[in-house]
Amino acid sequence: MKSFFRTHATLTALVVLTAALSFLSEAFFTPRNLSNITLQVTIIGIIAVGMTLVILLGGIDLSVGSIVGLASIVVTLFMQSGWNVWLAILATILTVGVGIGVWNGVWIAHYRIPAFIITLGMMTIARGAALVLSDGSSIPVTDPVFPLLGGEYIAPASSAVILGLALALFLFATLRTASRQRSCGVSVGARDIALRASFGVAILALAAYVFIGYRGIPYPVAFLIALILAGAFMLSNTRLGRRIYATGGNREAARLSGINVFRVELTVYVIVTTLAAVSGILLTSRLNGANPNLGNMFELDAIASVIIGGTSPMGGVGTIGGTVVGSVLIGVMNNGMSLLGVSSFYQLIIKGFIIIVAVWFDVMNKRRKA
Amino acid sequence: MGDVVLRMEHITRDFPGVRALDDVTLEARAGEVLILAGENGAGKSTLMKVLSGVWPASSFSGRILIRGEERRFASTHDAEAAGVAIIHQELNLIQDMSVGENIFLDRYFMRSFGIIDWDRVHMEAAKILERLRIGGIGTRDLVRTLSVGKQQMVEIAKALSLSASILVLDEPTSALTDREADDLFRILRALREQGVCMIYISHKLDEFERIGDRVQVLRDGKAVGDAEALSSVSLDRIIARMVNRDIREKYPKEPFAPGEVTLEVRNFEVDHPLLRNVKKVSGVSFDARKGEILGIAGLMGAGRTELVTGLFGGLPGAARGDVRIDGKPVAIRSPEDAIAAGMALVTEDRKLLGLILDFSIRTNITLSSLKAVSNALGVIDPMKDRGMAERFVTELGVRTPSVEAAANSLSGGNQQKVVIAKWLATESKILILDEPTRGVDVGAKVEIYRLMNDLVRRGVTVIMISSELPEIMGMSDRILVMCEGRLVAELKTAGATKEDVMDYATGNRTQEGFR
Ligand SMILES: Nc1ncnc2c1ncn2[C@@H]1O[C@H](COP(=O)(O)OP(=O)(O)OP(=O)(O)O)[C@@H](O)[C@H]1O
Ligand SMILES: [Mg+2]
Repeated sequence: MKSFFRTHATLTALVVLTAALSFLSEAFFTPRNLSNITLQVTIIGIIAVGMTLVILLGGIDLSVGSIVGLASIVVTLFMQSGWNVWLAILATILTVGVGIGVWNGVWIAHYRIPAFIITLGMMTIARGAALVLSDGSSIPVTDPVFPLLGGEYIAPASSAVILGLALALFLFATLRTASRQRSCGVSVGARDIALRASFGVAILALAAYVFIGYRGIPYPVAFLIALILAGAFMLSNTRLGRRIYATGGNREAARLSGINVFRVELTVYVIVTTLAAVSGILLTSRLNGANPNLGNMFELDAIASVIIGGTSPMGGVGTIGGTVVGSVLIGVMNNGMSLLGVSSFYQLIIKGFIIIVAVWFDVMNKRRKA
Repeated sequence: MGDVVLRMEHITRDFPGVRALDDVTLEARAGEVLILAGENGAGKSTLMKVLSGVWPASSFSGRILIRGEERRFASTHDAEAAGVAIIHQELNLIQDMSVGENIFLDRYFMRSFGIIDWDRVHMEAAKILERLRIGGIGTRDLVRTLSVGKQQMVEIAKALSLSASILVLDEPTSALTDREADDLFRILRALREQGVCMIYISHKLDEFERIGDRVQVLRDGKAVGDAEALSSVSLDRIIARMVNRDIREKYPKEPFAPGEVTLEVRNFEVDHPLLRNVKKVSGVSFDARKGEILGIAGLMGAGRTELVTGLFGGLPGAARGDVRIDGKPVAIRSPEDAIAAGMALVTEDRKLLGLILDFSIRTNITLSSLKAVSNALGVIDPMKDRGMAERFVTELGVRTPSVEAAANSLSGGNQQKVVIAKWLATESKILILDEPTRGVDVGAKVEIYRLMNDLVRRGVTVIMISSELPEIMGMSDRILVMCEGRLVAELKTAGATKEDVMDYATGNRTQEGFR
């Protein structure tokens, strides 16, 4: 409930901002622009989902931005050397994603070196490796299939079918949960259900407006949505999710409760670097070329999304839903400021203040409760 | 006894879903110890948090009068300035600061130019410790390195350093040894002579008569009658008021026939966490049987917690020895292994080691039994999850509006019940309880004892560490006594006396066969 409320506050901010921008700029609330925002949000959003898990553990991963750059170079080099696209992607995910994740995770979870230090080191190492491998310059992609991953769209007609199915599934799930809860004697207000249902319908209607109105659902966006659903389900409905929250909430108590905290932490650090590698591959595909400097400062945007989304920097409290709202807020803000002609220099300053306000809000909220 | 210095009138404090205090009026006088008694969740701590500014004046209704003058505190700072100091139920020290720094936290002695006079801070801190006659604590020691009992003494020293005229003690002795408690009482008596008004919360009934002058009972957030002089009211009457029913037996021990040996421990030892070549536990060997309650007695710091934590795999790398369960050798390297081998450990410190405070009651209870409430893919069945939590909340009588309430919104005793519930849910065949009834009210204690009886009847091996002799004597079949990391005696409860146990525990005697 607590985290729901905070998500709510960010959500309100998002709605207000969207309304204001629609009013201020005609170009803002168009399917084309909104679809672009989703694409921009996606690259950071994929990383932010993993970062949510890391921050839930009370940790941090500063290396994700550099991993985006390294993955970009590595995947293109693999393809240049004549490998099949899928093989190149798989190899990149295993080496750059899983490999670096295991390295980070072992230092952090087994040797108990602060995550800040280990991932700061990896941030430089990975960036350096990307520069060495590419000799410091960008590499073009020649494969005809690869650019489709990040640049193609699911056709509008198929998109419409998918959204329709999603609507049906969503309503069915909402009603089923409500009836199951009621049969268990939990009182769920009809208003609550109606609220949740109309919220979901509104989101899907907006998605329909955007995606059917402009070329359909972009592949990366579809991937992100699947990832969000899987991540949110994992956190709230699986053992691993429960263990992540417990370890972040009180590591010692979690360990004495029989949780293998090493395995939990290792898993999470592997997930986040793997997602960063995937994000790097998608970005390279969209840009149709690799660049060793890709992903510079992405870690900051990912962390900001998580924190603005209400996840406590101390660990133990937060949701992926919050992170999604946080990253969309950042995406809309960036886009809106560009549309309004605010210089990117000022954008940085404004973004910084918003992060501080969000954390301040979080702290005040806690203080009021305590 | 002096004048009324404190009057709390018509105090009402609501939390979401609970009315913690309901129109409570209370008076306390200078130079007395007023005992505040009541079940877990009756509202004792909340009332004292209202008094000491933890809950600001805007969060409750009613008035607080100190020496006839109405005071409205916005923070604990205001309350301290008005001479109200509180020692909380849970320790509130900063673990990585020294004892002296903690005692004078934020009230350091200054030289000119805003430089802290550390020598003076440590000197004054040493004076207070000396006045308390607390040995073995240096003012420059890090709090982290002290035992819970010692930390509690530092808390007390901190409150005394405020030279308060109203001193609240919320279950101060729950982690103290008898000797430390004696010291505390001596200090409280001296403060009483000096006219300090003290409010004392405890679940240890024998303390009421030892230190109290009057007693005020709370039940369900309401004051039950007015405060009465302890000289004119019997303990049984007080208990009856607290729980609103009769408790005939405080220790409902049932006779059991001990069965086969389930746990064999040979030459177990645990390293000191900081010092090389020093052992916290050494050469401990014992057996525990099915169908018995095995008590482990000893003074605070005797190594009992280290022994069981080590057995449970909680001290990887620092504990070793031969352990057999049901005759088969087991290698327990982590709590995960221990649970798989059928062991459960109710830890001593519920806030630091027992609970995830941000978690709900439900998620805390099912935390160690996630496999039982989820499928092969690791997906948790919400109905099973909730069902398990609700079953134990009912069984143990945890007072809460819902299993979804956060663990940190529960009263201390109810938090303890949640920790016990978590381990009962694992259905282990060996259950180790480390100070299971600390901070638990009379009624609930009996419930926990009954539960132990039930478990033993079902064939569970129960091992109980307790620093309360009456509890050890009242509930165990056999008693192991530890002193300074070694096992010094094994006694049959029938035939042993408290004096015997104390003698062994303090190292005055060692039984034959034990080094
Ligand atoms: N921060 C809080 N949020 C919600 N409910 C609370 C909070 N603090 C206390 N309560 C509720 O208020 C009631 C009284 O709690 P309190 O801690 O005062 O009990 P107590 O008499 O001190 O019990 P114990 O002997 O177990 O320490 C309980 O029902 C408890 O759950
Ligand atoms: Mg209390």
